Amino acid sequence: MVFFDLEAKKTGPEKTEYDVIIIGAGPAGLGAAIYSGRAGLSTLVVEKNIEGGQILLTDVMENYPGYGIINSNELAQKFKEHADLFGTEFDYGEVVKLELDNENSKLVHLDNGRVYKSKVIIIATGASPRKLGVPGEDEFISKGVSYCAVCDGAFFANKNVVVIGGGDSAVDESLYLSRIVSKVTIIHRRDKLRAVKSLQEKAFKNPRIDFIWDTVVKEIKGNDKVEALVLQNVKTGKIEELPVDGVFIFIGLEPNSGIFKDFVETDENGFIITNEDMETSVKGIFAAGDVRVKSVRQVITAVSDGAIAATIAARKYFD
Amino acid sequence: MPKLLNSKIVNDLKKIFSEELQKKVKILLFRVDDESICEYCDLTQNLLKELIDVDERIELEVYDFGKDEEMVQKYDVQRVPALIILDENGKDYGVRFYGIPSGHEFSTLIDDIVTFSKGPVPNLSPETIEQLKKIDHEVRIQVFVTPTCPYCPRAVLMAHHFALVNDNIIGEMIEANEFMELSTKFGVSAVPHIVVNEDYSFVGALPEANYLNEVLKGLKK
Ligand SMILES: Cc1cc2nc3c(=O)[nH]c(=O)nc-3n(C[C@H](O)[C@H](O)[C@H](O)COP(=O)(O)OP(=O)(O)OC[C@H]3O[C@@H](n4cnc5c(N)ncnc54)[C@H](O)[C@@H]3O)c2cc1C
Repeated sequence: MVFFDLEAKKTGPEKTEYDVIIIGAGPAGLGAAIYSGRAGLSTLVVEKNIEGGQILLTDVMENYPGYGIINSNELAQKFKEHADLFGTEFDYGEVVKLELDNENSKLVHLDNGRVYKSKVIIIATGASPRKLGVPGEDEFISKGVSYCAVCDGAFFANKNVVVIGGGDSAVDESLYLSRIVSKVTIIHRRDKLRAVKSLQEKAFKNPRIDFIWDTVVKEIKGNDKVEALVLQNVKTGKIEELPVDGVFIFIGLEPNSGIFKDFVETDENGFIITNEDMETSVKGIFAAGDVRVKSVRQVITAVSDGAIAATIAARKYFD
Repeated sequence: MPKLLNSKIVNDLKKIFSEELQKKVKILLFRVDDESICEYCDLTQNLLKELIDVDERIELEVYDFGKDEEMVQKYDVQRVPALIILDENGKDYGVRFYGIPSGHEFSTLIDDIVTFSKGPVPNLSPETIEQLKKIDHEVRIQVFVTPTCPYCPRAVLMAHHFALVNDNIIGEMIEANEFMELSTKFGVSAVPHIVVNEDYSFVGALPEANYLNEVLKGLKK
C-alpha cells in the first residue's frame, strides 16, 4: 500500500533560548510539549528522526485510548499536531552534548552544530532495541539481522525468519511478519510467552507462526549473510543448528541515556532514575518515558510521564 | 484516478509552501512508459503533478529514460523512476531520488524542495562542511530505504545535504523494494543501509560526525 506521510520539517527556529527544551519527539516528548506549551512556557523539541519515536516501529496501535485501533503514523501525526496547537517549536538534529552552565542555564548541543539554551530540560529520548550480544550479531546487521519489522520485513518476502523474544513486541511483530514471510519461528528462552493474552491467542492460531521454547541463541552464522542459528535448549543443554534467512530481535530495550550519564543518576542498566514528579538527580532536569526507570513502558505511560514532567517544571521553575 | 494526496496533506503542504518557499524549484522526472519495466513511474509522475498543483513555484520537467538520451547522459541517470532536484537557475547539486518518494520519504522530498527554494544552504556544521569541501573526486552516496522506515529520512537528508556542499558528491535515495536486484547486490536487508562508491557500506542513521567519518572511510577504500 502506497502512503504519504508528511512530517515536513520547517526551518530551524531563529530563537536560541527557551524556557523548556525537550529532547526527543516520541510520546513522552510530545506529551510534555502539549503541557509545557499550554502552561505558557516557550518550548523547543529537538528530534533526530521524525516525530513519533517507537510508535513508528509498529504498524497499528490498539491500546491508546480514544482511537480504537489506529495506524501508528496517524497517531504520531496527531500527537505532533496537538503539540503544534500550543506553539511548540521543533528543530531536527541529534543532541550530542549537554552542558550545565549554571542552575538556570543549560546548553544543548546538536550534531549539526546548533546550540540551544534553556532553564529546564526534559529528557524524553526513549529507548532502542537491546542487542542479543552473541557472536555474528553485529557482523550480520543488514545481512539478515534486523530490529525493525516494519522497516525490513519486505526483504524477507517468502522466506523463513526467526523472531527472538517473548514479550508484546516480539509477538506483535511476528504477527506483522507472518503477513509477508512464509514462516516465522518464535524462539523464546522460557516455556511460555510474556506477551498479553490477546496477542498470544492470535499467534497460537496463526498457521505461519511456530515456536521453539526454552531456547537461547548462542551464535548467528553464515558466509555473506545469515544462514543459521546455533541454539541451545536451556533445560536439556542440547545444542542444535537451525537454518534461517533472517533474524528479528525483540528482547527488550536499551535506554538512550548515554550522553546524560555524566549528569544524572541512572540504574545499572542505564535507565534514568527519577522521583514521582519525573525529577532527576539534577535540578531543572527531568526525564520522561521509556528512558527512565519504570515498570510499564507503553505509549500511554510515556505521554503521562511527559505531562507530569512539564506540569511540575512549570510550577517549580516558572511560577 | 483517485488523488494520491488527500485534502489534509494538500492543505498542510499549502501552508508549509506559503510560509517557507522563497525561490522557484525545478524537479526533473525520468521515466519510461512501460509498466512492466517501471511499476512506479506513473504513480511517481501523478504524485509530482499533484505537488506542482499545490504551488506554482515548483516546476516539473518529464523526460523519457529511453528516448531523451542527451538528458539521461547529462544527469547521469541510472534507473527509473528518477527525480532530480534543481535550484531556480537549473543548477544540479547531485540530489537524487530513485524510486517513488512515498511513506516517510515523502517528507524528505518536501524538505528538499523547501531547502532548494532557499538557496540551497546545507544544514550541516561548519566542521563537516569544511571536510566535505576538501573532497576532490567523485563520491556517490546511495541510501537504501523503505517507505515505512522512520530512521531513513534522516540518512537520506544527510546524503542530500552532503551533496549540496560539493559538486563531487552525489546523494541518492534508493527505494530498496523497487530495486530489489540492486539491494540484493549490496546485500541490503536492514535500512537505512548506506553504500559509498559501490564499495563500502554502513547501516543506520548516524549522527553527522559519524556519518561523515563513514563516508570518508568509504572514500579511502
Ligand atoms: C515494536 C514495538 C511495538 C510497540 N507496540 C506498542 C503498543 O501497541 N502500544 C503501546 O502503548 N506501546 C507500544 N510500544 C511501546 C511504545 O512505543 C513506547 O513505550 C513509547 O514509544 C515510549 O515513548 P518515549 O517517548 O519515551 O520514547 P521513544 O518512543 O523511544 O521516543 C524517543 C524519541 O527521542 C528521539 N531521540 C533519542 N535520542 C535523541 C537525541 N540524542 N537527540 C534527539 N532526539 C533523540 C528518538 O528519535 C525518538 O523519536 C511498542 C514498542 C515497540 C518497539
